[in-house]
Amino acid sequence: MTASARSQRSAARDYAPAVTGFGMLVAFLLLMELLVQTGLVNRFIVPPPSEIIASFGRVIVEEHVFSRFVLTLTECLTAGVMLTIFGVAGGVIMHRFQLLQQACETWVAAMASAPIVLMYPLFLVIFGRNSWTIIMMGFISALPPVILKTIEGISGTRRVLVNVGRSFNLTGQQQFWKILFPAALPNIFVGIRLGLIFALINIVGVEFLINYGGLGQLINDLAERYDLPGTYAAICFVILVSVLFFMTLEKIERWLRPID
Amino acid sequence: MPASSPAHADNAILVVDNITMRFDTSEGAVFAVDDVSFDVKPGEFLSVIGPSGCGKSTLFNVIGGLLGNYQGAVSVTGETISGPHKSIGMVFQEESTFPWRSVTDNVAFPLELIGMPKETRIERAKHFIGLVGLAGFENRYPGELSGGMRQRVSLARTLASEPKILLMDEPFAALDEQTRLLLGDKVLQIQQQLKQTTLLITHNITEAVQMSDRILVMTYRPGKVKRIVNIDLPRPRTSEIVSSEAFGRYVAQIWSDLREEASRGMRDEDAQALHHKGASA
Amino acid sequence: MAETDRLRKAALSVPMINQVTLLRVAIILSLLAIWEFLSHSGWLYRDVVPSLLSIGHALLGLLSSPSYYFNLGVTAAEVATALAIGGASGIAFGVVLGANRFLARAYEPYLYYLGPTPKIIFFPILIMWFGVGPESKIALGTLSCFFPVALSVAAGMRAIDKVLIRVGISFRANPWQMAMKIYLPAMRHPIINGIRLGLGVALIGTLLAETKLSNKGIGFLIIQAYSIFDMPRTYAMLIVLFVLAIGANGLVGRLGGLHGIKQQ
Repeated sequence: MTASARSQRSAARDYAPAVTGFGMLVAFLLLMELLVQTGLVNRFIVPPPSEIIASFGRVIVEEHVFSRFVLTLTECLTAGVMLTIFGVAGGVIMHRFQLLQQACETWVAAMASAPIVLMYPLFLVIFGRNSWTIIMMGFISALPPVILKTIEGISGTRRVLVNVGRSFNLTGQQQFWKILFPAALPNIFVGIRLGLIFALINIVGVEFLINYGGLGQLINDLAERYDLPGTYAAICFVILVSVLFFMTLEKIERWLRPID
Repeated sequence: MPASSPAHADNAILVVDNITMRFDTSEGAVFAVDDVSFDVKPGEFLSVIGPSGCGKSTLFNVIGGLLGNYQGAVSVTGETISGPHKSIGMVFQEESTFPWRSVTDNVAFPLELIGMPKETRIERAKHFIGLVGLAGFENRYPGELSGGMRQRVSLARTLASEPKILLMDEPFAALDEQTRLLLGDKVLQIQQQLKQTTLLITHNITEAVQMSDRILVMTYRPGKVKRIVNIDLPRPRTSEIVSSEAFGRYVAQIWSDLREEASRGMRDEDAQALHHKGASA
Repeated sequence: MAETDRLRKAALSVPMINQVTLLRVAIILSLLAIWEFLSHSGWLYRDVVPSLLSIGHALLGLLSSPSYYFNLGVTAAEVATALAIGGASGIAFGVVLGANRFLARAYEPYLYYLGPTPKIIFFPILIMWFGVGPESKIALGTLSCFFPVALSVAAGMRAIDKVLIRVGISFRANPWQMAMKIYLPAMRHPIINGIRLGLGVALIGTLLAETKLSNKGIGFLIIQAYSIFDMPRTYAMLIVLFVLAIGANGLVGRLGGLHGIKQQ
């Protein structure tokens, strides 16, 4: 087999799965189109994909999708900044005071699996029906993973690196900033990424639930107006944003992690 | 081209006949083993030794029925195999105990598969656990045992299925020298006690000479039978035999064969590495 | 001799345990004290921080009212059904994706990138498909927990030590034996972790759906209490909910042989 024939075959092998997956998606949409157009599926429950795609343009322009996107993103980033500051600081403090860590770490872990977002009616009462409820909800529900990952990162520093520091007679402060903290950064970034994802999910969710804010509110609005194609379109749009957000975070994390 | 079938001993319990295995790689066809034939007689301890790249593991997987697509045939008591045969028991090189099962449940595993009732199989398992010297550890879990002990559990598990032929692939490779010598002693003792036909794949000359009745030396890829050596050391044997003169002579003889093949292997590997570097430069 | 050793060991260990417990008790007491202080200070709007007494009262009222248990049962049934359907299909998909490299490369990216999206936004569609009854809540819970279970199981399948599979084949185990005695036990950690995660998100999904549109269930009760501004009752319900959720999470972990709440 010639080299070019071989490389052609392996290129086909590489792209085959992606094509299969995407092809399946396209096939599914075509099938739905057929089912709805022939009346086998009620078009008032599932609008034909062609109508959904057609309403994309209308939704984007009339519903000010871009400014809504900016609003949701701002809420996310605000929560994200708060997460980073308080989460990492919390983790550092807990690691510094061993007793505190022993007392509270399991509590934080328990919170990580608790349905914190269910407290949104409470936050509504405390902060009122505005962006702060949304931001605080995103912040609080995403805090535990950041704290836990920070602690994990710092405690997990390899013993030998710590000993290197001690052999140079570093003070506690120097030891922390020159060895422990840098060594913990990969884990901390993972924690922040997890936190940002949780924050986005909860922020969009709460926007939907309290009917206030950016993209989440858009879906709720369109649903209450019985604009079916618009609702589907808005949901597709939110999923797209969420997927892109996730991918961007992955890229950033990989770029920030020099070795691993 | 495979030669015509060589004559096989009439009482051979395992017959390996003209096994040729080829792999298609990006550099063309590679023969892992080429026209390998030999017999194993009942109760015999046969070692297959060779340098890395001689196809010993391929042979192990072929005889064990885990590989297909080869030319030639393997037969056990006259029956050609077409998959893992019930008369062949395999012991793998890697850690293979089930971490979620106790020692007893590990050893009883093959008996469980054939539907043996619980009491009988626990008793049978206990017997083999004692045989490998792990009496008292029946209720421990592999996580609590050392590497050597875990390999003994794997051995007991295979022995519990009472195979006619025990097929082992470098079972002591991951252990330190002392543990290896002592475990080798244990295996020898068991083999002599049970008169177990054993086929051992190894790269360790001392191990092979210590335990075997015959040693089959393989060439570097494509793996062929280079020589079959009869080991006429007295039985019963223990690890003390490693200091005898006759032992030393056998080791020297096999080493000279092996060194030739091992050097060919090293030159080949170096050439390959350079070739790859040049191609990507 | 042995006696003094034992006593010395006991004496050394007691202070350590005591310190941690002491700190925990101190933290809890001080938080409660701050709470009570805020509640009576009048700095915050009316009942935003109700007194501990009123919360305790509401708790008692809650736990002794049969209608609460009825709604608890409704929610529990919805979550259990969602977990069953989502979990089973998640395991099935996960097994297939984990076993077949091609299918994994074709379809798993979709699961991976769709996983971390807010599923509550699908609720309007689910209402249209399933109506306003418990079915739509179960559907949302199922949708939520399908992804983490499928992804965990797929990863678990790929992480199985290959030699264990060869052991099974060498002993001629039939496919059922391979599945039950080798694949499943080898994957117990990823499966349990997947189910823990699945339980958490199924619970959240179902409850949020109940707060949005329902006339039964805990979520409904919470939003109802909020709408009449009965804050002590809201707090009481949230407390019970959190205790149950954390307890259920710990229980699943314990059942799976893992110790502690931290993920392994």
